[in-house]
Amino acid sequence: MTTSEKTTGAGKTAPVVPRLIVTDLSKNYGAIHAVKRVSLEAYPGEVVALVGENGAGKSTVSKIIAGAVSRSSGQISVDGEQINPASVGDSRKHGVSCAFQELSLIPGLTVSENLDLVDKSPIGRFSQKSASETARKILEKFDLSHIAPESLVASLSLADRQLIEIVRSLVGNPRLLILDEASSALTPPGVSWLFERIRELTASGGTVIYVSHRMNELAEIADRVIVMRDGEQVGSFTKGSWSVDELVSMMAGRETSSQFPQTTEIKIIGEPVLRVSNLRSDRLYGVDLEIYPGEIVGVGGLAGNGQSELLSALFGAHAARADNWEFAGIKLRRMNPQLAVRLGVGFVPEDRKLQGLALALGVGENLVLPWQKLFGFGGKPVIKKEQGWLNSVISSLSVKTRGVREAAGSLSGGNQQKLVFGRWVDKNRKLLLLHDPTRGVDVGAKQDLYSSILRLSEAGISVLWLSTEVEEIVNVCHRAVVMYEGKIVKTLAGATLTADEVVGAAMGGNND
Amino acid sequence: MTRFRRLFSSGGLARLRSEGATAPIVAFATFFALYIAINPEILTRFQLQTASNLVVPLAFAALAQMIVVIVGGIDISIGAIMSLSNVSFALLMVNLSPAIAIPVTLGIGAAAGLFNGFLVAYFRLPAIAVTLASFFIIGALTRELMDRPGGGISYDFFLATSGELIPFVPVSVFWLALFSVALYFLLQRTRFGRHVYAVGSNADGLEAAGVNSKRTILLAFMLSGVTVSIGAIMLAGSTLTGDPRSGDAYLLNSIAAVALAGVAFAGGRGSILGAILAAFTLGLIGNFLYFAGINSSWQYIIAALILLSVVAIPALVSRIQAERRKTK
Repeated sequence: MTTSEKTTGAGKTAPVVPRLIVTDLSKNYGAIHAVKRVSLEAYPGEVVALVGENGAGKSTVSKIIAGAVSRSSGQISVDGEQINPASVGDSRKHGVSCAFQELSLIPGLTVSENLDLVDKSPIGRFSQKSASETARKILEKFDLSHIAPESLVASLSLADRQLIEIVRSLVGNPRLLILDEASSALTPPGVSWLFERIRELTASGGTVIYVSHRMNELAEIADRVIVMRDGEQVGSFTKGSWSVDELVSMMAGRETSSQFPQTTEIKIIGEPVLRVSNLRSDRLYGVDLEIYPGEIVGVGGLAGNGQSELLSALFGAHAARADNWEFAGIKLRRMNPQLAVRLGVGFVPEDRKLQGLALALGVGENLVLPWQKLFGFGGKPVIKKEQGWLNSVISSLSVKTRGVREAAGSLSGGNQQKLVFGRWVDKNRKLLLLHDPTRGVDVGAKQDLYSSILRLSEAGISVLWLSTEVEEIVNVCHRAVVMYEGKIVKTLAGATLTADEVVGAAMGGNND
Repeated sequence: MTRFRRLFSSGGLARLRSEGATAPIVAFATFFALYIAINPEILTRFQLQTASNLVVPLAFAALAQMIVVIVGGIDISIGAIMSLSNVSFALLMVNLSPAIAIPVTLGIGAAAGLFNGFLVAYFRLPAIAVTLASFFIIGALTRELMDRPGGGISYDFFLATSGELIPFVPVSVFWLALFSVALYFLLQRTRFGRHVYAVGSNADGLEAAGVNSKRTILLAFMLSGVTVSIGAIMLAGSTLTGDPRSGDAYLLNSIAAVALAGVAFAGGRGSILGAILAAFTLGLIGNFLYFAGINSSWQYIIAALILLSVVAIPALVSRIQAERRKTK
């Protein structure tokens, strides 16, 4: 990587100045070294992928280059010019822009206002009309006419918000584009839309730093992959020289045979634990579903087709009605979360930070949260009483924590997710409802979650698993239901459970 | 039908609705209709003018509080800034012309905003603590300047701010309207104004878009301080004195007006028209009860009932609507 020559995509060899040179970049938070002496280069027209587990430092590196985080030491130069960005605005002036992992849009403003925020002086007239007009042109240019410029960002789906976040980073034709987990909420067509944008940018000489957890995307889009672990750069591969398993084991720092564990076959026996017919709710228009003990049922489909509403309805978090609703042999008229927990349902909601955890409370208190009685003890006495269970959950899910009293908010994303999941483990659950538990979670934590889901299944606990990663549904689930416009349009199992079938059904094609 | 719906889902009406102004508008219309029914005399020139002079300073205080609340803060020092500006202006007017006294007073308001805003934006201190501290400091300064009502406001100045300078409309309302249009332009039609709303909605997001969110917060506090000072000048004009305790009542009333106006206390949402009408409603309750022949100690209970119902009714309506949609 010290050579100044580089074979460009066109196949001709020419001396090319690197677009980005990062030298000995470090970042310390107190005694914690988030990034340790990272050096990398990226050339015009190149897509460099940055991979690693959560906490490996790749997001920090992206944020430093983007100007959102200050560095402790090291140099960054863009097109041979040393830059020292003090803010994101500074970086954008140098042609460096970033789509951030935690969506950085303003929920209370419209799409057009959000697009108007960047690259403009604060002293200037603003008109809704002309901002909408500009936004409409931008959205049309990027093939996103389905999003209305006047709509509030808060009213958009997560996937659409992510698209807008990406569009905003593309505005102003950056020389260097950083995509930090930009595809985490995107659907398969959204991902191919993103790849098209990346190819457009690189074809015109732009450079892309692509941070992702989705290993199977890398082969398609990355020219080079840099692997990070514990804040350090541990490996670098050029196109075609890596395999997913190789990357995964390098990221984890241990040998792993495959990304997905082996699912055990299931024999359908006995009565279904859940039987619901014609379930209706907000954005749910008549769902029939049966789940048998020990079965892992995947829920697929494009975002916004009623999958999340199905899970909330079954947990009673959203009002819903059904013609017939049986859980564990008990006929129900309506469901509510308290009843659901009493009957043996567990729920892992979509947003671990907003809906899953009390971030300021300790690890232990978060785990016992559903199991405290209104007039019983709380806090320390409960933690003490449940110590055995807490330790077993923490070790069986390998939660990385300094102890039960550490604040949940200080754990990494993957470990936070393990807490939301772990509170239902070994607590006599009959059915677990999982809302994309592996979104934005690193490979190691993903594998921990997969194996605990399988352990639950072997113990006879049923799982209804909404996943945005088709590979998970295909590889780990026994059966999959695909939703489209608020209904289940396809049920797939055995040999018919393939990625193509799931994606095809999600698009609304070849259904009955 | 679709055109009709479009009218309400885009443009100014939708903005008023999404900024929470529907409830205070309806509340004010109802309240004012009742007021006229009980006391038709309110529409005479003299009574209208007296009522306006009473509520206009509160409207300025409410707007000032709203600006700070939109950026996600709260200003406990508003009453103190009001008193300080009021007293300073009255003292300046003893020897100087309004052409000097007014800018200096506005500068005092801006300086108070600078103090609060600097500590909140750049030191990331909680607004409630910072403004509570400046409430004490400014209060002490004010009593140093003037310990009993006094100063030199001329009758001409009364006529210019609170008298019959123009036909039909009370002149204080005219000044308020002029200021509100300017504030509306600043908040809705300049990029800075959109940043003010954005910083309250998601400050980190604004920073990630490349906008200086700290400076935005600082400028919003300063704008708020200037707004309070204008209210203090209006107050001095209508009472013809400076009074070190004149601002005291405006702290809680400005917060109540902001709540009544449907401004989100978490930041990011608030309507100018809503804040003004909320201030008018709250400011006139006392007079209303007088004319209705009700003991004035009921004033606060009536104010509380209006506040609660205005806040509760829209929340109930939207909940019922959501519930209906779900189980349809």
